[in-house]
Amino acid sequence: MSMIEFNNVEKYYGKFHALKNINLKIDQGEVVTIIGPSGSGKSTLLRCINGLETVTSGQLLINGYDLADKKTDMNKTRKNVGMVFQHFNLYANKTVMQNITLGPQVVLKQSKAQSEEEAHKLLELVGLNEKANSFPDQLSGGQQQRIAIARSLAMKPKALLFDEPTSALDPEMIGDVLNVMKTVAEQGMTMVVVTHEMGFAQEVGDRIVFMADGSILEDHSDVAGFFKQPNDERARVFLSKVIKHM
Amino acid sequence: MDIFAQAYQWVNLKYLLEGLWVTVEVSVISILFSFIIGAIFGLLRYMKIKYLSMIVGFIVDIIRNLPLLLIIFFTYFGLPNVIGVRFNTLWATIIAMTVFESAMLAEIIRSGIMAVDSGQMEAARSNGLTYWQTMYHIILPQAVKKMIPPIVSQFISLVKDTSLATIIVLPELMFHAQVIYGQNTNFMIPMFLALAVLYFIVCYLLSVLAKFLDRRLSKA
Repeated sequence: MSMIEFNNVEKYYGKFHALKNINLKIDQGEVVTIIGPSGSGKSTLLRCINGLETVTSGQLLINGYDLADKKTDMNKTRKNVGMVFQHFNLYANKTVMQNITLGPQVVLKQSKAQSEEEAHKLLELVGLNEKANSFPDQLSGGQQQRIAIARSLAMKPKALLFDEPTSALDPEMIGDVLNVMKTVAEQGMTMVVVTHEMGFAQEVGDRIVFMADGSILEDHSDVAGFFKQPNDERARVFLSKVIKHM
Repeated sequence: MDIFAQAYQWVNLKYLLEGLWVTVEVSVISILFSFIIGAIFGLLRYMKIKYLSMIVGFIVDIIRNLPLLLIIFFTYFGLPNVIGVRFNTLWATIIAMTVFESAMLAEIIRSGIMAVDSGQMEAARSNGLTYWQTMYHIILPQAVKKMIPPIVSQFISLVKDTSLATIIVLPELMFHAQVIYGQNTNFMIPMFLALAVLYFIVCYLLSVLAKFLDRRLSKA
């Protein structure tokens, strides 16, 4: 059974057709990068996976639970799927430590001591142990994003979604965040990453998905092959534009 | 200067302070009631519950766009004709102020919640928190901080607006001053001065309290 499975998913915003006949299976441990021009539905697809958006029709299975089914407990499903946002969205009224431990304490009912102990390990992982008592607005964008990753990991999710995690960062911060993501990927986390970082997609991704106009046009396990020779004309045009700027 | 000495003789000052007491009484009770009702209405309107939020929004918008004086007239002169219950001037004023201020506060509270970045809700929900857990831990604490300044401004207006109840002869500060200079028009300027000072003190204390609260919340 796939961890995440889209079967003929359609998504409309009013009359706007955001996702068109999406079929996608993601297995445990896979790192899938999704690329494509802006407005192609990449983020919408990602947001459907943890229920921030609902699908209009079709089937979306997470660990075998259908998100379109009203009987599915959305809160329970979300516990297993973490999300990292473009703008970090750290809790502004909480310290770094509280940001990481809130979910484990409130949702997983961990004790304060236990959750803080695990938070320190995660802070170690993202290299920010000295920032435990800082507030988000005292951190740089890159630091905030690494904390956001630690916050997601604290819930021990089965999969982690990344929505353009480096797009809002200054160039010199991007490397630190990508390195953390790489470490997480190496530990076997299932990851779906919407990104414009073609280097990351090539190096870390097991699979690459190209989207345009709400459809999946390419889906390759041979990531390097895709970058050399995309089949679809739009993917070719997109890549030539993106690569030129790199 | 002789006029000022005469105007501020103890019997007059005592009468002014009695008026001030009524002003404070009306203000405090109205603030308490309108804060509770305003919070409930603001939250209900924010939550976009089918029909209910629409009805609450409709009521709030109507009341917000009526003059307070009209509402005071209605609770004092109108209600006896409509429901056959007559409130004394004190309670007629408190009810009118509460109705009006609840509507104003509901909007302040709703917009305070809306001013919290929507990314905070999304992050908490994808972190596994339920809607109400998110409200309690993340959204409301941030919203309250944003709300304090406008809420205090509203309470300051409330205190000053109690003077409107002079018209239904509520024995509050403004009315008592009028009684004093009604007996001797030379006392008019000293009384205006006394009113200015007394209203200023009450309202200024409110804003000091607000600053104190704000600082406490910032530390938390």
